[in-house]
Amino acid sequence: MMPTAQRRLLFLLLAMLSAGSILFAAAIGSVALTWEQWWSALLEPGSEFGELVWRIRLPRAAAAWTVGALLSLSGCLMQVLLRNPLADPYILGVSGGASFAALFGMSAGIAAALQPALAWAGALFSILIVFGLARGEGPWSGTRLLLTGVVTASGWAALISLLLTLGPDGSLRGMLFWLIGDLSYARLPGWTLLILLGIFAAGLGMARSLNVLAMGETTARLLGEPTRKLLWVVYLLASVLTATAVSIAGNIGFVGLIVPHLMRLLVGSDHRVLLPSAALFGGLFLVLSDTLARTVLAPRQLPVGVVTALLGVPLFLLLLNRARVRQ
Amino acid sequence: MSALQCRNLDLLIGGIRVVSKLDLSIRPGEFWGLLGPNGIGKTTLLKCLAGLIEPATGEILLESRPILELPRKLLARHIGMLQQHTVYVFDASVMQTALTGRHPYLGYWEREGPEDLAAARSALRVVGLDGFADRSVTGLSGGEARRLAFASLLVQDPDLMLLDEPTNHLDLRHQVQIMGMIQERTRAGSRSALAALHDINLAARYCSHVIMLFGDGDWCAGPADDMLSESSLERLYHCPVERLESPGGPRFHPLSR
Repeated sequence: MMPTAQRRLLFLLLAMLSAGSILFAAAIGSVALTWEQWWSALLEPGSEFGELVWRIRLPRAAAAWTVGALLSLSGCLMQVLLRNPLADPYILGVSGGASFAALFGMSAGIAAALQPALAWAGALFSILIVFGLARGEGPWSGTRLLLTGVVTASGWAALISLLLTLGPDGSLRGMLFWLIGDLSYARLPGWTLLILLGIFAAGLGMARSLNVLAMGETTARLLGEPTRKLLWVVYLLASVLTATAVSIAGNIGFVGLIVPHLMRLLVGSDHRVLLPSAALFGGLFLVLSDTLARTVLAPRQLPVGVVTALLGVPLFLLLLNRARVRQ
Repeated sequence: MSALQCRNLDLLIGGIRVVSKLDLSIRPGEFWGLLGPNGIGKTTLLKCLAGLIEPATGEILLESRPILELPRKLLARHIGMLQQHTVYVFDASVMQTALTGRHPYLGYWEREGPEDLAAARSALRVVGLDGFADRSVTGLSGGEARRLAFASLLVQDPDLMLLDEPTNHLDLRHQVQIMGMIQERTRAGSRSALAALHDINLAARYCSHVIMLFGDGDWCAGPADDMLSESSLERLYHCPVERLESPGGPRFHPLSR
C-alpha cells in the first residue's frame, strides 16, 4: 500500500512531466526554435512562431498525449478483464474493425476528414459483434470472450490484407502508416478528451473492484462483486478507449501493452494508483516518442508506431530484468 | 445472527447425483465438519452454499430468503469462503490482499479507513504474518499463502465461514491454530462455520457437528459425537478404522487391511 502523501507526489510528478513533455515537443522540430523564441511563441499565439507552435506542434503533442493515455488505460483494463498480463488494447479485435473501415475509406477515396468517424464506426461494429457472440447463454467465461475476440481480430486482419492487396498503389503508403500508427495528421476533437476523462473517472471509481477481479472471478464474486456485469462494463470501457485512440492515430503498438506493465513494476498493482500513473505516463511516453518520430530522421517523418516499438521493447526488457534482480 | 438452511437440495457433478435431498440447518454457534472421500462433492456443496453455483433442485435460505436472490455484496457480508486454491496472476502486497476482505463493506470511490487497516493488521497478526505486510503475494510459500487467504476471510468477518480444506499446506502448529480460531469464533455464539476436512481427528477435536457425504447421494448429519463412529467412518472411506480413547475425546486411526 502506497501512503497517500507518496501517491500524491507521484501523480504530481507525472503530471508535471506530462505537461513538460508537451511544451518541450513544441520547441523541437524542423524549424528549430531558441528557448526565447519558444517562450514568446507560447505567450503570443499570433506571432510568427506562435502560429507554428499553437496551430501545429501543440495540437499534435496534445493528440499524442491523449492517445497515449487512452491506450495505456485501455491496456490496464484489458489485462484485468482477461486476467492476462499479455493482453493489449487490440487483442479483442476493436482496432481490426477500425482499421478495416479506415483503410476501406482510403482505398475508396473517401475524404481524410471522415476517416476518424469511419474508424469509430468500424470499431463499434467489431465491439458489437464480439459482445453479441461472446455473451450467449450460460455461464460467462473469460476464455469465450478471449477466443471470440482473437478470432474476430484475425478475421479483420484477413480483410485488411485483402484491402492492401487490392487497393490502389497510390493509397498504400497512407494505409501502411495508418496500420503502424501515425500522428502526422492527428487532430484532437474535444469529445475524445471527454471520453478519456469520463472513463478514467469511472475506472477510478471501480478501481477496488478491478483489484478484486485481478485475483480471479470466483474470489471477486465471493467478495461481493457481481462479476458478470463488471466484466461487461470493463470490456465496453476498454473497447471505447481503444476505438477512440485508433480513430485518432491508427494502430500505435506497444504503448497499451508496455505502459501498464512498466507501471505495475514501478507502482504496484493497486488500480487506484496504477490507472492514473499509467494514463499520465502513457501520455508522456507517446509525446516523447512522437517528438523523436518527427525529428530523428528529419525532414523525413517516421510513423510513431515504429518509435514506440523501438523504444518500448528495450526499455521494458531492462526494467523487467531489474525487477527480477531486486526480488 | 443468521442461520443458513438447505431444503431438499440435490447436487449434480457432470450429471451424476452426488447429494440427494439434503436438509441442513447451520445455526449460529455451530462449527460443522464436512467429511467425505475425494471427488464426492464437498467443494461443490460449499460453492453451492456460497451462492457460486445453483443447485440442481432445492433451495438455500439465509434468514429465510433464498441466497441467489440477495445482492452479491450483501451476501458477501454474511457468507465468506476460503477456496481450496489461490492463484495469483498479478502481483499485490500481502496487506493489499488482506484488505480485500473489506471490499463488501465499501462503496465505489470509497477508500479503506483506519478501522479497515487496523482490522487487516490484526488479522495478519493472528495468522502469524505480521511483518509480511509489504511482501508480495507471489513470493509466499504455500502455507503462508493459505494463512493470508484465511486472514482475508477474518477481515471479511462473515457470519458463516465456508472453508475448503482450511488446513491444506499448513504445518501442525498452524493447523491447530486455525482450527482453534474458527472454534473460538463460533463458540462466541453469533457466528458459524462449515469446513471440508480430510483429517477426521481435527473434526473430532474441533467440530460441534459433522456432515458426511457417502457419494451415492446418501448423507448423514448431526452432532459430532453421534456421527463419528467406527462404522460410519468405515462406510464413508471404505477403509477399516480403529477408535482410540484419548483424554480429549475419541480419535480415529486407519487400519491396514
